[in-house]
Amino acid sequence: MWMANSRSSSGARRLAFACFALLLAALFLFPGQIQGLLQYLGGPVGRVASIPLEVIASIDTGIANRWQQYVVLQGVWEENQQLRKDIEWLRGQNSQLRELAAATERLTALLQFKEQALPTMVAARVIGRDTTNRYQALILNKGESDGIKPDMGVITPAGVVGRIVKTTGASSVVLLVTDPNNAIAGLIQRTRDEGIVEGTQQGQAQLKYLPLLSTLRDGDRVVTSGLIGDFPRGLAIGTITHIDKQEGALFQSAELMPEVDVGRVEEVLVIQASYGQSTKAAGGVDLPGKP
Amino acid sequence: MKLLLCLILVLLLVPVQATLLPHLSVWNIKPDLGLVAAAFVGLFAGEMEGLLVGLAIGWVLNLFSAGELGLSLLTNGGVGLLAGFLGRQVSQVTSISVGVGLLAASLASGLLAAATSKNIDLAQVWQMVGAIVLPQACFDGLVGAGFYWLLSQRFQVARLRTE
Repeated sequence: MWMANSRSSSGARRLAFACFALLLAALFLFPGQIQGLLQYLGGPVGRVASIPLEVIASIDTGIANRWQQYVVLQGVWEENQQLRKDIEWLRGQNSQLRELAAATERLTALLQFKEQALPTMVAARVIGRDTTNRYQALILNKGESDGIKPDMGVITPAGVVGRIVKTTGASSVVLLVTDPNNAIAGLIQRTRDEGIVEGTQQGQAQLKYLPLLSTLRDGDRVVTSGLIGDFPRGLAIGTITHIDKQEGALFQSAELMPEVDVGRVEEVLVIQASYGQSTKAAGGVDLPGKP
Repeated sequence: MKLLLCLILVLLLVPVQATLLPHLSVWNIKPDLGLVAAAFVGLFAGEMEGLLVGLAIGWVLNLFSAGELGLSLLTNGGVGLLAGFLGRQVSQVTSISVGVGLLAASLASGLLAAATSKNIDLAQVWQMVGAIVLPQACFDGLVGAGFYWLLSQRFQVARLRTE
């Protein structure tokens, strides 16, 4: 047994407790201001912290790619990747075409077709996952300096991934569509009923607040409604797998299988300007072409 | 020198926590190395250092998380401070006591986070506690105990603590 150390002088100890008490008080009294200040200071700090993150993410991706390309199944893996990309692209196209077909029907009837601008997007690479277990989020290698701001929508050619919740100079955090804290306005493509898509603790999604008279069924596709947030209308969110209709409830809800496998996302597109606001910003790209 | 070491520790924790640990996660749960690091700095360097490094770790790690900043600052800084205080009060620190301490600290921080979560109902809070908070607390306790045991095998931890 040995004696307890006595390296901290009592003055330093008191100072430490006083600092902590002061911080506690400041956070309780001025939560918004303190968070805003730290977030502002976090811009350049985040830029510095992004450097080792990007380096390690590149090494990690390099090792994973080498392993998959040269050790496991060289030819099959490449072919599989290409096919997956093709499927994702076709899914996205299919969803957009369905939406366009439905829109065309309505618009033709009105004879007021008006050409719409395509959304401006910026491509980003996933360099990490949320540093805690409590949120389902991704870290992207693009930030404020690339024109990314909180609340911007994030997609892949297959569909919706989530939305930006935090940015630093050179990185940003995307809250995934499967996180319970996320909410996106959704629309059932067949019935045109609108609801709110939220994540679940199980890593899936659910469509809530649907009218009781809605005739939704399993297999119906859900797309963005374009009414709230920075998502244009018609981007695929998921497919209904189960309907929850309780007696006496004011609304019905449905479980969704997200269109994008958020556990395997490597590259994404951040929507900088939605339909009608498209400004061809430097570095921005239009709707993705076939991979 | 001490400052440089702390800076390297904080900057290296980001890629380890965000990029490497997801590969080592068990049932999608990864340990919170920030909490473990803050506790060890507090234990070996004292309250003030534990608090400052804990605050820095909480702040920088939070820049890469969707979570709220205040909670991350308070939990990491608080754990660093508490570890420094307890390290001075407890005469004999073992890997088991470090593990139990970290389990308790992680559990308290997880429960606080679950209780202050917005947009989720009570059933989801309990689900979160069972599925995330408890396993993570066990994981953090195990990592902390294992790390302390490794240190005690390699170095004279008693000397490290008294220096």
